[in-house]
Amino acid sequence: MSRSEAVSEVPAKAARVRCFTDELPLLAGVAAVLGGAVLLMAGDNFALNILATTFLMAGLATAWNVIGGFGGQFSLCHGVFFAEGAYLTANGVVHLGLSPWLSLAPAAVLGAVTALAISWPAFRLRGPFFAIATMTFSEVAYVLANYFDSVTGGAQGIRVPYHAGWLNMIFPGRIAYAWIMLGFLCCCLAASLLLLRSRLGYYLQAVRDNEAAAQASGIDVLRTKLLGFAISGGLTAIGGSVFMMYVRVVDPPTLLTLSDVGVRFALIALIGGVGTGYGPLLGALLVVPLEAWLRASVGAYVPGANLIVLGAVLVLAALFFRQGLAGALDRLLARRPGRRGAAAA
Amino acid sequence: MSTLLSLRGVSKRFGGLLAVNGVSMDVAPGELVSIIGPNGAGKTTLFNLLTGQLTPSTGTIALRGAEINRLPPQARARLGFGRTFQIAQTLTTLTALENAMIGGFMHHRDLRGAAARAMAALELVGLQDRAGVKGSLLTLSERRRLEVARALALEPDIVLLDEVMAGLNPTEIGHMVHLVQTLNDGGLTFLVIEHNLKVVRQFSNRVLVLHRGAMLAHGTADEVLSNPAVVEAYVGKSRQ
Repeated sequence: MSRSEAVSEVPAKAARVRCFTDELPLLAGVAAVLGGAVLLMAGDNFALNILATTFLMAGLATAWNVIGGFGGQFSLCHGVFFAEGAYLTANGVVHLGLSPWLSLAPAAVLGAVTALAISWPAFRLRGPFFAIATMTFSEVAYVLANYFDSVTGGAQGIRVPYHAGWLNMIFPGRIAYAWIMLGFLCCCLAASLLLLRSRLGYYLQAVRDNEAAAQASGIDVLRTKLLGFAISGGLTAIGGSVFMMYVRVVDPPTLLTLSDVGVRFALIALIGGVGTGYGPLLGALLVVPLEAWLRASVGAYVPGANLIVLGAVLVLAALFFRQGLAGALDRLLARRPGRRGAAAA
Repeated sequence: MSTLLSLRGVSKRFGGLLAVNGVSMDVAPGELVSIIGPNGAGKTTLFNLLTGQLTPSTGTIALRGAEINRLPPQARARLGFGRTFQIAQTLTTLTALENAMIGGFMHHRDLRGAAARAMAALELVGLQDRAGVKGSLLTLSERRRLEVARALALEPDIVLLDEVMAGLNPTEIGHMVHLVQTLNDGGLTFLVIEHNLKVVRQFSNRVLVLHRGAMLAHGTADEVLSNPAVVEAYVGKSRQ
């Protein structure tokens, strides 16, 4: 069989393309800076709590970005995977006496399998219709979580008793949680970058940009979307597990309120820069501390005013940072050498 | 051996419109077949039937003797079909190199292998200097050539080009004609939809004329272009 020898004969010049190993220095640098922030804040429980929440939300937004950004599939049901992770871990501790560490992998599997089950029918829809369909899954999960109180504790919620210790993932000081959340964030970033620099990552982006071109290039569009969704759902469920051990008591509104969970992951990724490696992290670094600060300052005088200010920030971001903070940063870095060149000329 | 692609009575009906009407033909490996015909003749529909964007209402499409009527586009791409689209389907957020890599991944799972294949394809179409440019910033002519590069990066057995010369300047057309002929000389099979009859003559291979979905004429370029029925379909009947 002559598989087009004419094409193969052309000598291939070494093409430069960013691989995962090229991403490692920056990833290590980011992890070191964030770790340094934790050390700086040691002893300040308020700051550590904000840091832990920021890292958690950054990790979750990064996980969402795998399918929402790279794959361009605007899911609003990631709260479901988040809740599954939390409930799985809580039940493991409460009913089986299992260490939460052991429930991380099963949580990822459960999240991935649920993601497949939800998205397989939902991927028949596109664009906003897909988003609305996933939103309904999230609302149904909310009702189910209230109903099946043997698993979820119903509206009263489920509580993990306080027994401090490494094995129980429960600590008297807040700093350990900051480290755990940082670990989760680094896992999500590494997984996301590994994917971005792999065939599946490129296939996801091809599907997002143009399904016809993707198919003509031999890409199974549905399979690609399903894989992306499963990875995203699995990572999100791990986030739910560590969140469970962080707060130790959860109820359906905490885990499944659309505006606070599913939409929030997407929102943070959008603000930071959807479809980029570090955009979701940038978004979380801006939004989470800002929220906490507004709640304490403005919200303390006029209840709800913090939400008005936050809403204004979001509107401004949507107007002026179309490609998110990552896009704005990119443009700034790209402009600088050009200016220098112009000045020299 | 001898037949790579064969069509037997292939038709496609859209409601009351018979877009492709009983087309039968055989394409041997290494052939270069041009498909011409006035606007709306069903050329692109025929391409879409071949690459699986559409499935035929009746008739049989076979690749190397195996029927592929119902296979989806991605399966046909894996069987060796590479195609370009009449309207360039550029991946706008990816660079030119990454666009071509999407094709290169077909036979190279790893990033470097796909990138090397993609770079080779970009060089073939003369886009090697634009490798790092985002798809959204490419000109129309560059996008058309990028379509060809992505199709070639698949390392296909048969390439379907849908009006790739449209929007190219004469120099670029010259390059493209030369590229297609070189690859064809190397054994790659081509099916080409082309409006530029000068280009069709240059290819000087088999020509198929479609008119209102049906095959109007079939033969060498000179035979076909001097056929009165073809002239009539293109420019109308002269009043005598």
